[in-house]
Amino acid sequence: MSHLVIDPVTRIEGHLRVEAEVEGGAVANAWSSSTMFRGIELILKGRDPRDAWAFTQRICGVCTTVHAIASIRAVEKAIGAVPPTNARLLRNLIMASQMVHDHVVHFYHLHALDWVDVVSALKADPAATSQLAQSISDWPLSSSRYFAAVKDRLQGFVDRGQLGPFANAYWGHSAYRLPPEANLMAVAHYLEALDWQREFIKIHAVLGGKNPHLQSFLVGGMATPVDPDRQASINLGSVAALRQLVAQARDFVNKVYIPDLMAVASFYKDWAGYGAGVGNYLVYGEYPEGDEPNASLFLPSGVIWGRDLSRVASFDPTKINEFITHSWYQYSGGDSEGRHPFDGETQPHYTGPEPPYERLNTDGKYSWLKSPRYEGKPMEVGPLSRMLVAYARGHQRVQELVNGTLNQLGVGPAALFSTLGRVAARGIETVVLAEKLDGWLDELADNMGRGELAIHDNSKWDPSTWPKDATGAGFHEAPRGALGHWVHIKDGVIANYQCVVPSTWNAGPRDASGQRGPYEEALVGNPVADPAQPLELLRTLHSFDPCLACGVHVVDARRRTLAEVKVS
Amino acid sequence: MNPRPDWLLSELERRGVSRRDFLGFCGVMASVLALPKSAGAAIAKAIATTEKPTLVWLEFQDCAGNTESFLRAGRPTAADIILDVLSVDYHETIMAAAGKQAEEALHKVLAEKGGQFLAVVEGSIPTGANGAYCTIGGRSALSIAREVCGQAAATIAIGTCAAFGGIPAASPNPTGALSVADAVPGLKNLINLPACPANAENLAALVVYYLTFHRWPALDSYRRPLFAYGKAIHDNCERRAHFDAGQYVELWGDEGHRTGYCLYKMGCKGPVTYQNCPSVGWNGGTNWPIGCGHPCLGCAEPEFWDRMTPFYRHLPNVPGFGLQTSVDRVGLWATAGVAAAFATHGLVQIGKRLARGVPPSEERADSKGGQR
Amino acid sequence: MSQPAAALEVVHAPPFAPGHSNLVRVHVWEWPVRLTHWLNVLALLVLSATGIYLGHPFLVVPGPAGQRFVMGTVRLVHFYSAIVFTLSVLSRIAWMFLGNKYSRWDKFLPVARLRREGLWPTLKFYLFGQRKPPGFVGHNPLAGLAYTLIFALFLLQIATGLALYSASCHLGSPLKIFQFLVPLLGGLQVARLIHHIVMWLLLGFGVHHVYSAVLMSMVEPTATMESIFSGYKFVPEEDLVYSGYRYIDRKTDAGG
Repeated sequence: MSHLVIDPVTRIEGHLRVEAEVEGGAVANAWSSSTMFRGIELILKGRDPRDAWAFTQRICGVCTTVHAIASIRAVEKAIGAVPPTNARLLRNLIMASQMVHDHVVHFYHLHALDWVDVVSALKADPAATSQLAQSISDWPLSSSRYFAAVKDRLQGFVDRGQLGPFANAYWGHSAYRLPPEANLMAVAHYLEALDWQREFIKIHAVLGGKNPHLQSFLVGGMATPVDPDRQASINLGSVAALRQLVAQARDFVNKVYIPDLMAVASFYKDWAGYGAGVGNYLVYGEYPEGDEPNASLFLPSGVIWGRDLSRVASFDPTKINEFITHSWYQYSGGDSEGRHPFDGETQPHYTGPEPPYERLNTDGKYSWLKSPRYEGKPMEVGPLSRMLVAYARGHQRVQELVNGTLNQLGVGPAALFSTLGRVAARGIETVVLAEKLDGWLDELADNMGRGELAIHDNSKWDPSTWPKDATGAGFHEAPRGALGHWVHIKDGVIANYQCVVPSTWNAGPRDASGQRGPYEEALVGNPVADPAQPLELLRTLHSFDPCLACGVHVVDARRRTLAEVKVS
Repeated sequence: MNPRPDWLLSELERRGVSRRDFLGFCGVMASVLALPKSAGAAIAKAIATTEKPTLVWLEFQDCAGNTESFLRAGRPTAADIILDVLSVDYHETIMAAAGKQAEEALHKVLAEKGGQFLAVVEGSIPTGANGAYCTIGGRSALSIAREVCGQAAATIAIGTCAAFGGIPAASPNPTGALSVADAVPGLKNLINLPACPANAENLAALVVYYLTFHRWPALDSYRRPLFAYGKAIHDNCERRAHFDAGQYVELWGDEGHRTGYCLYKMGCKGPVTYQNCPSVGWNGGTNWPIGCGHPCLGCAEPEFWDRMTPFYRHLPNVPGFGLQTSVDRVGLWATAGVAAAFATHGLVQIGKRLARGVPPSEERADSKGGQR
Repeated sequence: MSQPAAALEVVHAPPFAPGHSNLVRVHVWEWPVRLTHWLNVLALLVLSATGIYLGHPFLVVPGPAGQRFVMGTVRLVHFYSAIVFTLSVLSRIAWMFLGNKYSRWDKFLPVARLRREGLWPTLKFYLFGQRKPPGFVGHNPLAGLAYTLIFALFLLQIATGLALYSASCHLGSPLKIFQFLVPLLGGLQVARLIHHIVMWLLLGFGVHHVYSAVLMSMVEPTATMESIFSGYKFVPEEDLVYSGYRYIDRKTDAGG
């Protein structure tokens, strides 16, 4: 049995460490640890709730919209503000474009190198690569001269001995299975996607001033004025520009991302048998299609237990509890209790080894993440959960795409519950949302035509209109999964703030009853050909799209000071 | 002449970027840097003939926002070239290697390029709990920063967290987070590129500046390059005419808001914030926050999370008066209170005198004597 | 010495103190003192009014932005008033070293024994502990201390104002050098906050100042109120001793 440590886990957001025991070429046990803590909720205490979105937004610069959205929703709920239709549409556009952008960037820049051997691409024949590319897509950049140029460029990298971000990786590892031509094609698209993402995200610049960290959010609406007859507002010119960006995005997704995903998947079908994880899926749902509080959601909420797609339970926020048995925190009721976010408490209490250290004590506390549980069970959140719930709830487009994908790969529905299933679900979701963006743009243009220009609920802007004491929860589906913010506002300021974020659900450590978190569970059984080069583990980890900064700040704003932090 | 002056240009051509485009890019960089037009050619020559400098990008208490910003550089092909111009040997968010292999990549830079590489630091550095608030490979952020930045030819603290402590250092600073300057004092060639996140255009311009002149740009008192932080947002704002005219957004979505009036009354911090957002713009000059109707948050200034908040008000809080009370309201009431108190006092005095029917001098004479 | 002894003359002023003591007509406030005082008043009123508008621009100005300059004009007036105020304050500070004994710096800081000893009776008078005010001719020692604080506030207001102005003045402006103040003050936003707080403190002081002057004119026979216009006070002879005079020989008694 060998013990392996991956720290830092790269090509993620944030700081993740994984320790695993490997026995007989497979992972026997695994521990996921977050190694960074900032305490943003503690910082939020006593501040203006209208400012909170900007603070929480800084939790993550990759999924740069999600904590802002969850925050304004939580505060709106608490103070009773109701954003007008235009604000809902602008938010839907921002959220869905974030999702599309994030998924593509994840596939190419954070995940692809687990499947694609960059050095092998040097052996590719550009003409054969061109043939391959043209056989799977009518994307225009597919000539043999184009691929020859990419190959030359890569060769230049290697010849100069300055491989930069590609240096010292696992090239030549036996687990890489793509032919050189597929590798070359993927490398070309890796570089194209780098250009594409820069262009596509201009949609956020139009709607939010800049990306990362768009700046048009407001409690009660949006700051982006809408008026067809003004140049300083979102007008039909902006809508046309957005439409073009959306069309380009759809083109890239349909002609590059999805064909690449299918091509890669077809070589790695065995990964439909690994990385299953906990088998429980939780979705809060997203993209309201109306302005009323219980408006239907384009991607529905729900809970799936034990991989049983025949039944979807409805989501009940009161069933969420957080445990800290293996997290560097203390509860007043002891290490084994679970607490709902509304009355959550967290007192940082570092008991890990003093840095520098080689090993964590995985029997004790070993992470800055808490362990959220739903009805006491670990839940997987993210694109796979969303697609499964939508599928089981009868979402027509999702069903079409899921069935089509399974057919094309020639695998059964069980293949969804896997590392590969996560990768595929992410692709399917991207397609669904890229198609949906135009509809919201149409609605926005319609509203403008009817002279409906409101973007903000001004009636609740002034703190004197708020209740003295109010609580609210804001839910959102971030690219990485279900996200919730809970806020308690007292006398116009934040009394308590809690975030339970996707990567806490997925990357959290064991709970009081010793149940592994989704990462940990998914890693068990993973093959490891060479413990010194744990490429396979990265595949499963990256299939969750880890975003650790999201998870590392969960501290209650109400309780004790950090003077009590002890270092063992 | 450099033995291989054309590798870049030929690579550019392979990427579909003509020599003309590239020179155009260098011209833009010259204008970002506020250099004369002719500097464009010098920049092009510098980029094409200089050895690819090694860059190490460290992430500590960060959100990867600056990394994402870096990937969004405004002119795509040109930004791509910047990626090629540098050899990014360590950057956790984009590098292929992980764990031990990643650490080896960093050690290799330190061993082979000590004193020659550029270090970019993103995120603040926690000092609480003996460094346990941020560890990478089991080592504390502080010890990594000391080792790496101490051997770098220059350190660029990108983003407000690295430059000034940023959000982790916001009150009450739960983790004892520090800026690079404070955590690793005495670094030579430390340049701050604050903003949340920093604009990629400014990072690109900084690197090009260095490659062109082989020195670092003029800095302000916060170690920010003057070419990007030399002017207040307010003085360069497209809405400035409305400010001077006296035309302000009063309510979100009102006619003034839709027309593009000044956001001063909505708490805009443009007057107290130095950055080139209005001229350079974001995401390839597509837009910027004030352009989309939201006030400036002041994100390029030290301690902006404490000093620029509440974001939707003109002035920061006065400690002890509650968050929703502005200093001007307190002042108005206090002044009115003082006036009322004196008015009452005066009325009582006059009343007393009238009642007694004595002139003031009589009273004075009564008390004559004593008090010497 | 800047003031000739001839400034002192004994007058009998029946309206004030018939049959009690001689009143001496004293030239207390020289013209620079009076001028700077009234310039300060005027400037502070204009600065506060424009300053309140700068912080809360309540007017809604219609019409094309390019042809309106309301905020710009208000700022301009604010800046010009600030120049007047700054020069006036600095002149008055200079006069603390040039002027007569009533305007000198040692009337602001109680360094002399007599003035230190005068602190307590004055305070007692203010707290209604004694009925007669100790008879200082110029500023009493406590008022002198209070004015020291006011001058400190003046200087702080000037410093924060210059820091804020230096942030956006044109490159050729000599005031650009005051940029060094910005980090010292804790950044522009903090400078703004201080600038507002000091304005309110000064307005509060103004209310108190006017009231006390009126009140003292009623309580004392010295023509306190008139003196800031005319420069002269009428002081009971015995009080001149209190103010540090050796009221022995009028001819030699010019210094202080």
